[in-house]
Amino acid sequence: MLVIWPIFTSNQFLFTMASMVLLSAIGAASLNLIIRTGHVSLAHAGFMGIGAYGCVLTQMYMGWSFPLALIFGCLLSGLVALAVGPIILRLTGKYFVLITFMLGEIIRMIFIEWKSLTGGSNGLGNFPPIHPIFESSINFYYLALVVSVLCVALCWRILTSELGRAIDSMREAEKVALCSGVPVIKIKILIFVIGCVLVAIQGAFQAHLIKFVDPTSFNDLASLNFVVMNVIGGMFHVAGPLIGTIFISLFPELLRDYVDYQRVIFGVVLIIVMAALPGGIVGTFARLRGKK
Amino acid sequence: MFSTRILRRVLFLFMFTAWSIVRAQTPEELKIGVIAPLSGGGTAWGLALQRGAQLAVDEVMAKGGLKIGNKVYAPKLVVFDSQYTAAGGRVAAERLISVEKVKFIIGPIGSPEVLGALPVTMKSETLMLSNGFAVPILKNPENSPYNFRVLNTSVEFGRVMVKWYRENYPKSKKVAMIGPNDSVGQMVVPQMAEVYKSQGFEVWSELYERGSKEFTPILLRMIAQKVDLFDLAGNAPSEVGLMIRQARQSGYKGHIWQAGGPAVDEAIAIAGKLSEGYMSFNVFDFDNPKAANFVKAYRAKYGSGVINAQTPIWHNATHMLFESMRRSGGTDVKAVRDSLEKLDGFEGGLVGPVSWGGLAEYGVNHQLLHEFLIVEVRDGKIVTRATITPQKR
Amino acid sequence: MFSLAMFGQALVNGVSLSAIYVLIALGFTLLFGIMRVVNFAHGAFAMFGGYALFFAYGQYQLPYAVAIMGSALLVASAGLIFEYLVVRWFYHKMFQSMIGLMGLNMAMVFTGVIVWDAHERSIPAAASEVLFVGDLVIPADRVVVLGVAIVVLFLFWMFISKTKYGLAMRAASQDVEIAGTQGINARRVYQVAFFIAIFMTALAGSLYSQVYALSPFVGERILMVAFVVVILGGMGSIPGAALGGILLGLSESFLSTFFGSAVSTFVTFGAVILLLIVRPWGILGEPE
Repeated sequence: MLVIWPIFTSNQFLFTMASMVLLSAIGAASLNLIIRTGHVSLAHAGFMGIGAYGCVLTQMYMGWSFPLALIFGCLLSGLVALAVGPIILRLTGKYFVLITFMLGEIIRMIFIEWKSLTGGSNGLGNFPPIHPIFESSINFYYLALVVSVLCVALCWRILTSELGRAIDSMREAEKVALCSGVPVIKIKILIFVIGCVLVAIQGAFQAHLIKFVDPTSFNDLASLNFVVMNVIGGMFHVAGPLIGTIFISLFPELLRDYVDYQRVIFGVVLIIVMAALPGGIVGTFARLRGKK
Repeated sequence: MFSTRILRRVLFLFMFTAWSIVRAQTPEELKIGVIAPLSGGGTAWGLALQRGAQLAVDEVMAKGGLKIGNKVYAPKLVVFDSQYTAAGGRVAAERLISVEKVKFIIGPIGSPEVLGALPVTMKSETLMLSNGFAVPILKNPENSPYNFRVLNTSVEFGRVMVKWYRENYPKSKKVAMIGPNDSVGQMVVPQMAEVYKSQGFEVWSELYERGSKEFTPILLRMIAQKVDLFDLAGNAPSEVGLMIRQARQSGYKGHIWQAGGPAVDEAIAIAGKLSEGYMSFNVFDFDNPKAANFVKAYRAKYGSGVINAQTPIWHNATHMLFESMRRSGGTDVKAVRDSLEKLDGFEGGLVGPVSWGGLAEYGVNHQLLHEFLIVEVRDGKIVTRATITPQKR
Repeated sequence: MFSLAMFGQALVNGVSLSAIYVLIALGFTLLFGIMRVVNFAHGAFAMFGGYALFFAYGQYQLPYAVAIMGSALLVASAGLIFEYLVVRWFYHKMFQSMIGLMGLNMAMVFTGVIVWDAHERSIPAAASEVLFVGDLVIPADRVVVLGVAIVVLFLFWMFISKTKYGLAMRAASQDVEIAGTQGINARRVYQVAFFIAIFMTALAGSLYSQVYALSPFVGERILMVAFVVVILGGMGSIPGAALGGILLGLSESFLSTFFGSAVSTFVTFGAVILLLIVRPWGILGEPE
């Protein structure tokens, strides 16, 4: 169905919105992997930025083709994740949230301060496109669809595999898992790196969708958005982050005319979901179905 | 029988004529898109845009609508929040163009949002009257065919102001600039530094993280540099007042001004008596009798808060758009655009006659050169010291 | 640049900053210590305190002491309504409380935008003189803040350590069930704690808004400061809030003055990260 609907309309806005939602789903799903290990990261948008800048800069200054630049962006993000992972993953709960918040801020400040490389707060535009074919919104949509499906499918595979079971066991009873021979910290680092590499993919594609890269797209609010997508959609079901992404991306568009009221309603919705529906939207459905 | 047939025909003819007349007089809705930051960092300016444009629309509607050719239109603003980000600008533009089907957009304001919206508006040939200090907004390979900048940037007024200052205060040698590290600060501070250096000043500058309100440590650092002039270029209105107050409270005795902004009303509101002697670039004199109606209309609709000085600029831009439509005789984008380019001399009523320039800097004459003022705060009132018209270059 | 006069002035600035920071952190750390709630709506309550003072002192021109106390009391009382409706669902639920209170913060801030408009306002200063002591420049309004901070800290410490309610609060924070068996009504204790915490937060917010400027978004920075101070000093520890506030205030002042604001920010962040890695519960906090 996702493949067919574009044939029935020529509305550019819908294609752009749909592409954005698809790309955001990558970020939400990859964060979900990390959350399943028991760690909520507020640095996720920072890693998205590393992917975006890494890709765009190598295209601009080294003349690399997009596929090569994309791989570079992902590698860069993965390396940073590998470097900080072992240190910060030893922290749990609110401390991990706080330290990833600081990490995200540091990454963003580097983007701002390193003007000569990143263009600072005024960002980078005018970089070579992925390929002239994808200049059209409808073609870009199909590209985003393919990429998004691949990434989300990867997340799903991980979560439903042996590794996924190890992750769940780690989250629920870490000491027991350790005693059963699960290499807890190694798995956490592995998942963290995978998550950061995936969101870097989103960063690179999103940069090409908007044709502009600037530090404000990778701030704490953007990271928070990913967390909220997971929380509202449901953290412990595979479909959760996807539902959450759709909700968060489309909700502002429904209330376009009343920005302030929109935010108030959004805040109240968050409160209600958190207080009464801890499993998120998906979790609630699951419970309802289970009860029947 | 003969007579009733004629009667019926006459009646029908009469009703048809009446209906046509009424239809010609009923205004057709004309959607005008507005993209403005209505949440986040740029809200003060975003509201200035929305309100300025709306007041212009209200004025036109009070006169019975926008008469173009022999049709009457009722302009209606469709306002979308860009959240001051590139993605926000892009999505807002797309929705306005693809869903609301607008052909004319007023805004956005910040460089990221304009740069985000441009690829879409250029491709769809939508006319934009916007702002944004970044040079590539006007200077680009396509020669900015549909985008016009309706506010002076520091490129237009900076040099003139510094020269004026030099002439009036020849003893000043060293200038300090403290600005935010956001897109405005990072563009304006280096630009102005170059201008000062070319006029023989020694320059010290520092950028701070936007959001902080405590400037005394940096100001102390500045005072140690023994500067004669403190330029607040690049700072948002909310920070200007605080900087002036804290600088004076820290014992700084030199000149303070802003080659930018403007934020004079906000400065007086926040710094109070300490704003005495503060000088600034200003675009509008709210005490001017010409402005009285505008201020009254604003107060009636939007209350008693400070009127951001960008409001009259956007009001002017909206009237410029309407006039271009009138002159082109219709709402075809290319025709309106051509009219807009030839609008030199038109008086929107508040900020002086239109003059397009920028060919030397940007390769295309789409930079509005409006008259501006250099003002000083004396006894809590804004006094004009000079009225300047930027040169066409 | 590194003169005695500069040093002295940096010290003065640092002390005044510390006073504000300590006040901001107190309410925040209290809520965490007793109810284990990370109050993401901290900034919003502070903002309400600011507007309350704006109307009490700026518009209705009540005497300053009355305005300050009255506005904080008003906001704290309103806070109890929020506590009943929203906050009490989140006690001892770390994760839900974070997101839920973020939602509350958003709702409160944008309600503020709708009611009071987004533009910045100024609250008249309690004392607008500037004192000159030798080479040093000391704005009188900062001295007022320092005075209030000291008084509040002292009063609060007395309450916690010397009164029965204070003792009950400390007992509940350590083990709510056992405290219950001793006849302590946990619900009542939490309400009192919440009231006091919001009172201090509103007070901090009104002083902050008076020294700087007031807008619905004033709480963002306040929340950041609260976090940093409390992480440094120790979550849930009152002396920790004082220590963290002093450390942050002095370091910001000295580093910004002598090395620039970028250096100051990086060092602060670096210190916080280091502390989180090595001793996450802060200098004076206790591991859980």
